[in-house]
Parts: sequence; structure tokens; C-alpha cells
Amino acid sequence: MKASGLRYFVGALVVLLGIWAGLKFHSVHRVSEPEVAVPAGVASAPDPNEDSVLEAAAHPVVPARLPDFALSDLSGKPTSIGAWSGKSLVINFWATWCAPCRREIPLLKTLAADWAGRDLTVVGIAVDYADKVRRFAGQFKIDYPVLIGEQDALEVAAKFGMTSPAFPFTVFTDRRGEVVALFVGELHRPQADFILSEVQNLNQERIRLPEARRAIADGLEAMAAKNAG
Amino acid sequence: MVSAILGLAGAAQAKPWWMRGIDSNETDFLPPDVAFRVAARTDGAVVRVRWVIADGYYLYRHKIEVRAESPDLVVSAPQLPPGTVKTDPYMGTQQVYTQQVEAVVPYSRIDAGAHPLQIKVTYQGCAEAGLCYPPITKVVSPTVGSPAVAASEPPYPWESTAIIAGACAFLLAGLVLRKGRKLDIPA
Repeated sequence: MKASGLRYFVGALVVLLGIWAGLKFHSVHRVSEPEVAVPAGVASAPDPNEDSVLEAAAHPVVPARLPDFALSDLSGKPTSIGAWSGKSLVINFWATWCAPCRREIPLLKTLAADWAGRDLTVVGIAVDYADKVRRFAGQFKIDYPVLIGEQDALEVAAKFGMTSPAFPFTVFTDRRGEVVALFVGELHRPQADFILSEVQNLNQERIRLPEARRAIADGLEAMAAKNAG
Repeated sequence: MVSAILGLAGAAQAKPWWMRGIDSNETDFLPPDVAFRVAARTDGAVVRVRWVIADGYYLYRHKIEVRAESPDLVVSAPQLPPGTVKTDPYMGTQQVYTQQVEAVVPYSRIDAGAHPLQIKVTYQGCAEAGLCYPPITKVVSPTVGSPAVAASEPPYPWESTAIIAGACAFLLAGLVLRKGRKLDIPA
């Protein structure tokens, strides 16, 4: 009977061990599950090509010179960017649904007024529905030229290297049509004045293009560091 | 904040455009799929769609839409929690979400199983530093999260292993006990 008792004991032990193992694996897995995370759906699963996509987007090809393009103006008339040939341009890409784009409008109106008569034109490019833009332009009394487009405007943005654009972004050119700067995000007066002063230096041939570009990059870095400090 | 200027030959360094922002202590603009991560799972009769939003970014409440993508799927309007009120002098007052938000979407299927469950989500947001992304639309396949389905399809591989291990242990124990009984029976 002693041997039988031992066998019962070993059998019971094996059963308990099996149950314990099952519970252990189960509880360990449950505990390690993050509290707030939702199991990932397909859209948020890591994209095996994400790195290469990001890498490609990390080096957008911004043209050296202003590309040729045409879009409709507020009255619906097709207008080429070449209409302002020979002038320095501040080309602002925006949309009515974009809050920082709206906040920039007063600055752009001020720039247009302040630089009037100095061969500089502000041109807005609204990537949006024409009726919304017309209504908005009237409401905000936009007095500089505005071109409008949907897919065609996105294609224009792509010509500046912004293939997946976010808004606003602003392109600065000199009077020869060279792209001096492309500024992504909400533009503020100090940055705009600084970039335009370098554009003027270029126009008056006080500096050359590579120097202007380097000066703008360095100057904006310094302004950002000052703001952060 | 570092200002954005890019693609210019001779510039000190060519950072990607989202790596530069304006007027804030944030140092980067994120790609939209990093700024706003979306995932979905089923939970009984609802689909739960959750967005995880990066610090310094926000989603507009009124821009969130969820529609059926599968032909046999019918979804109701998403139920969203109240957002944070954000007032912009040029945009008015709107509700926004930061950090994370979950939409609860009741759904039903006319012919369950004929098509994979897929929804189409649309959302739009911005960076506080002064940049807005166009509306994003994605087709999402919710993962299965309801207990009823989990019973037939264990979501955790260790559970299957543990169940099999337990069954084997029980069988082994039975064999040991059976052998013991035989020896105890008087001839």
C-alpha cells in the first residue's frame, strides 16, 4: 500500500504541475500586455518599406530655379507663375482648413504692402476647393494674387519637392527666378524679414546664391536657438 | 525651434523637412503617420478605433470619420468623447484631441465572413508648432478582440501550449494511477 500511496502522490503532483504550468503561462502573458495599447490593426502595423519611404522623403528635390506652372486665379482665369517674371516672389502654399495658414495671412498682406514697389510679389497658392477659397479671400480681404487648385496644385507642390505636403510652406525666389529658400511651417515676421533681406542682397548682387542660402540657413538656426533659449 | 529651410545646395546640413519646426521647444516635425498612429479592434458589437497622438500634435474632433469599407459591413456614426476646446482667433473654437482618443463604432454585418472586416477612417490634425497635415484616409482591418471569437481562435499561442501540456500531464497521471490500481487488486 505504501507503493500505491506514492503512486497516487506522484500522479496528483503531475496533475497539479500541469495545471500550474497552464495558469503560469496564461497569467504571465496577460500581465505583460500593455494597459492602454490597442492591438494593432493593419494600418498601424510596421511598414517594412517605411524606412525607405522616409529615407526618400528625407531628401526632397527642391528645384534650383522656379518651375513653370499655371493655375486658376480667384476669377477662374488660368494664370502662369511666369506672369511675375523678373520679380522676387514669396509663394505661400496654404489651405482654408489650416489654422497656421490662416494666421499667416495678415503677415503676408503686410509683406505685400511693405515690399510693394520693390519688385517683390506675394503669391498665394491655395490647395483647396475654389469656392471655399474665394469666400475666404473675400472674408479676409486678401489683396495679393491667389492661385487655386486641387490635384493640380498638389502637382505644383510636388514640383518644389513637397510630394507629401503639409501646410503652410513658403518658397522665396530672387528676381532671376532662383529658389533661395523653402520654409516649412508658420512664417513669422522676423524670419520673413531676414530671408527677404538676403533676397535683396542677391538681387543687388552683393552676395552670390550659395552664400545667401548658407546665410539664411545659419541665420534661421541662430534665431531658433535664441527663441528656444 | 529650428526653422525649416531645405534642399538648398551649400546649406550647412540637409535635414528632412519634418525634422525642422518653428517657434517651439519641439525640435522636429513628424511624418503624419508617426504623429498620428491609428489602430482598431473589434469588441463585441463595436469596433474600437484608437489614435495615439505624438506630443505637440493634435487631431480635430469634427474631422474624424469612420465608414464601412467591406461591402457587407454597416457602421453607425462613431461615438467620440468630448475633446479639449481650442480657440484660435483665425479658426474659431474647435474641439481637439491630444495624446490619444478612442472612437466607439457600432457595427453589423449582412453576410459575416464573406469579406474581411475593413473600415475606412479619415482624420486630420496639426502640430502646435505651426503645421497642418491634409486629411488622412486609411483602410484599417480591425484585429479580433471579442471574447467569443477569442475562444475559438486563441489570441495567445502560449495558451494552446499550456492547455496541451496540461492534457498530457493529466494523461500521464492517469496511466500512473491505473498501473497502481492493478497491483492492489487481490488475485
